[in-house]
Amino acid sequence: MLKILIPSMFMLLTTWTSPFKQLWSTILMYSFLVATLSLTWLAMPTDTGWFYINNYMAYDPLSSPLLVLTCWLLPLMIIASQNHLAVEPENRQRTYISLLISLQIFLILAFSATEMIMFYVMFEATLIPTLIIITRWGNQMERLNAGTYFLFYTLAGSLPLLVALLIYHSSMGSLSYLSLTSLPLTCSNLYANKLWWMACLLAFLVKMPLYGVHLWLPKAHVEAPIAGSMVLAAVLLKLGGYGMMRIMIILDPLTKELSYPFIILALWGVIMTGSICLRQTDLKSLIAYSSVSHMGLVAAGILIQTPWGFTGALILMIAHGLTSSALFCLANTNYERTHSRTIILARGLQMVLPLMATWWFLASLANLALPPLPNLMGEIMIITSLFNWSFYTLILTGLGTLITASYSLYMFLLTQRGPIPHHLILLEPSHTREHLLLALHLLPLLLLIAKPELVWGWTA
Amino acid sequence: MCAWRRLHGSVRTLRGSLLRGCLSSTAATRRQPGRCGGLTLCQRLSTGGALRNDFFKDLEDQLAAMRKKAADALPGSSWMPFEINPNLPPETADIVIVGGGVVGWSIAYWLKQKERLPRGMRVLVVERDPSYSRASTVLSVGGIRQQFSLPENIYLSLASADFMRNINEHLSVMNEDPVDLQFNHSGYLFLASEEVAHIMEENYNTQRLAGAKVSLLSPQRVKENFPWINTEGVALASYGLENEGWFDPWSLLNAFRRKAISLGAIQCFGEVTDFKYTTHIRTTADEEQLETRRIKSVKVQMPNSMEYQPVECAIVVNAAGAYSGKLAEMLGIGRGPQDSIYGLPVPVEPRKRYVYVVHCPDGPGLDCPLLIDYSGVYFRREGLGGNYISGISPEEAEEPDTSNLEVDHQFFEDKVWPKLAHRVPAFEKLKVTSAWAGFYDYNTFDQNGIIGIHPLISNMYFATGFSGHGLQHSPAVGRAVAELILDGGFKTLNLKRMSFSRIFAQEPMLEQNIV
Repeated sequence: MLKILIPSMFMLLTTWTSPFKQLWSTILMYSFLVATLSLTWLAMPTDTGWFYINNYMAYDPLSSPLLVLTCWLLPLMIIASQNHLAVEPENRQRTYISLLISLQIFLILAFSATEMIMFYVMFEATLIPTLIIITRWGNQMERLNAGTYFLFYTLAGSLPLLVALLIYHSSMGSLSYLSLTSLPLTCSNLYANKLWWMACLLAFLVKMPLYGVHLWLPKAHVEAPIAGSMVLAAVLLKLGGYGMMRIMIILDPLTKELSYPFIILALWGVIMTGSICLRQTDLKSLIAYSSVSHMGLVAAGILIQTPWGFTGALILMIAHGLTSSALFCLANTNYERTHSRTIILARGLQMVLPLMATWWFLASLANLALPPLPNLMGEIMIITSLFNWSFYTLILTGLGTLITASYSLYMFLLTQRGPIPHHLILLEPSHTREHLLLALHLLPLLLLIAKPELVWGWTA
Repeated sequence: MCAWRRLHGSVRTLRGSLLRGCLSSTAATRRQPGRCGGLTLCQRLSTGGALRNDFFKDLEDQLAAMRKKAADALPGSSWMPFEINPNLPPETADIVIVGGGVVGWSIAYWLKQKERLPRGMRVLVVERDPSYSRASTVLSVGGIRQQFSLPENIYLSLASADFMRNINEHLSVMNEDPVDLQFNHSGYLFLASEEVAHIMEENYNTQRLAGAKVSLLSPQRVKENFPWINTEGVALASYGLENEGWFDPWSLLNAFRRKAISLGAIQCFGEVTDFKYTTHIRTTADEEQLETRRIKSVKVQMPNSMEYQPVECAIVVNAAGAYSGKLAEMLGIGRGPQDSIYGLPVPVEPRKRYVYVVHCPDGPGLDCPLLIDYSGVYFRREGLGGNYISGISPEEAEEPDTSNLEVDHQFFEDKVWPKLAHRVPAFEKLKVTSAWAGFYDYNTFDQNGIIGIHPLISNMYFATGFSGHGLQHSPAVGRAVAELILDGGFKTLNLKRMSFSRIFAQEPMLEQNIV
């Protein structure tokens, strides 16, 4: 654990002390090294349980996939940002990289926290670098609005969480994950306990996001630069899911009844946001709404509280992280060439960039949960566990799958197939860097087909 | 909530005014003696001051100020702590159309019309001249005809005429007045001499084949239909029976503009002074190095100000009319060495043409087409009061100076009047009431429009060089450019021959006209 955390912290030092000519290559190699080392987290002996490093940090089969995803994403973010940051002055480039690295550090600490308050502090801490990245390096004027929405939605959701955690701590004495299993708060049906239940979950539902509180996500994703979009889609949303999974343990008896409206809201959100995707004119906005759609399924899977639900949610989180990040990278390759995110102005690209069309194809297929990719695995497990809970959810989830398939195909066909407008005939050819970026996104996804046990969570 | 506040406010003012009217003059009124400018209905004549009245009025004003401040602070108001020039274009746009004439706005309208979802694209139209005082569109004679020799031109005019006949189906905006182009369907009458009569016959066949309703008239028929014409020297005449005539260009421009803005296009008054572009060096099939450029952003300078805004864009449409060549020069086209590919400029430059308004009470009257004589002189009726507008294209060697729009009245005396009076004897007695000059976006290569993308600038579309036919072709050209951008190719009219390739291959596509 420390062999990854300490190098990440020292990467900050490297950012500021490297000679400028070698900055990007150094940081890239360094972060690849850290990412490779982080793969050791996946090697767990089959007796599941916590792997302790010290009193404060630990990992277990739930958090290790997310930790590996976080560490894997940093080199990918560096590769993706290289082009658009090349025009910036030196110190600003170093600052940007430092923000990405600090985000990684906070995320590692968040996922490996053993105590809920530590998790909470790191959860909040990740907001700051993300906010700076969105509002400073975003491309449009609307980024200020996006940053405000992002910050205040998350803060408004997480302040009740702080209060709830403190209440729990003051009454139970400890918020350590180990002891959480044996300390459910109370079984009484007081109204205050229901509010406490809500307070515990609200922050994570906003972060996931749940359908009713999802407005910050399209804005933040669209206005953020590519690295911001990648980290938001791939990891920060999963913080919400991870937090929900951890805190479910103490919410036990109340969740049986209280989760009902949220499951329904999540499933309704899958359909609604999927339908919105079919009417989007902005490519990044389409991918952002598809993120909301997938995370709605994850939220429903977690709230169901069955082993299959949790497993499905975790697999879908990992798979969606890689897929969504890949789609954002593809949208960015379009944006860097045409300087516009409008879909109808970037059509028929298969003729001009055929190899990129391969990546578009794979990413779109992953998005629509094609077997045998892990996306399908996750979705099927969640849908099955929901069906087990109630037959009628099948209507919603089935319709949701159908709409997901239609908007993913719509996105692929609209951008790649069709007549190519004259102004796109002389587009810049794809760079090796872009191919590398997408290969590194999709290769893990394809490898996970072979050994999904790595990301199954506790139900090994 | 707002209505309540307004009502409340109005009740207060009513009460205040009642008080003011009933009670004596206040110190406030005396303090501002000139406010009502002398005797008014509620002139205060007494001199006592009531403190009570003062208090209410001040309170009222203060409360109004507080309400206004509160309304500004709440979200939804447009108050900003620092003033932003409202004319400033957005920082990013998908398509920037340089040139707000009728061609530019037609393209904007059709782009917005064809986008499948509302607000799908951001279209920005940049126009340099807020008053349109020097724009070619509004200074045009406003005629439309199908009597061309190139099928492309005939199709463009036919499609545009069809558009303009049904203009309210296309360009009407809800709750606004319908569009009235004042389209006079009086037709064009071309008069050919013996030498050029065969060209006129060939053109007639082309036109009929393309679907234009044109008829050939012998000199006797011409004299029967239009007895005021002197048919001496006329061997053949060609008269447009349908879809020909003239209309008001300003109405068309405003109709396009109003509809495009209602569909979401953005207008900006400013001048494009610079482009930021990226350069790519590619190897052609003949192993040569070709340098292509791709525009990244357009620098728009605000009028009469140092302020400018770089607009990041995906596509630029050059509809700058007479100044299209100069705009392309900002990208280096035309500024390279003479025989290199960048040395070939966009062959569009301004050419000044004069239009003279004459009054002749004994003139042709109401049944008067737009007559074009083989000597080059033309005239048409203007209004119903015996006014006519007339002009002639000057010789190549005598092209007037294009640095201003001053009219040369001697030109009328020397060049226009003799030919006019020869053709229409009634015009021997006329009086020139006014005149103006306008610029043609003259295509020096072959005097026909250029529609399409430039081979060297990857994302700049051109719709320019119409050499006097831009106005009459504008609806169809707008649709063609919109199809190029959004559909990848021409869909309704095949205008491939009007692309840049003819200029690079040095194969002019000339009109075989009798003038």
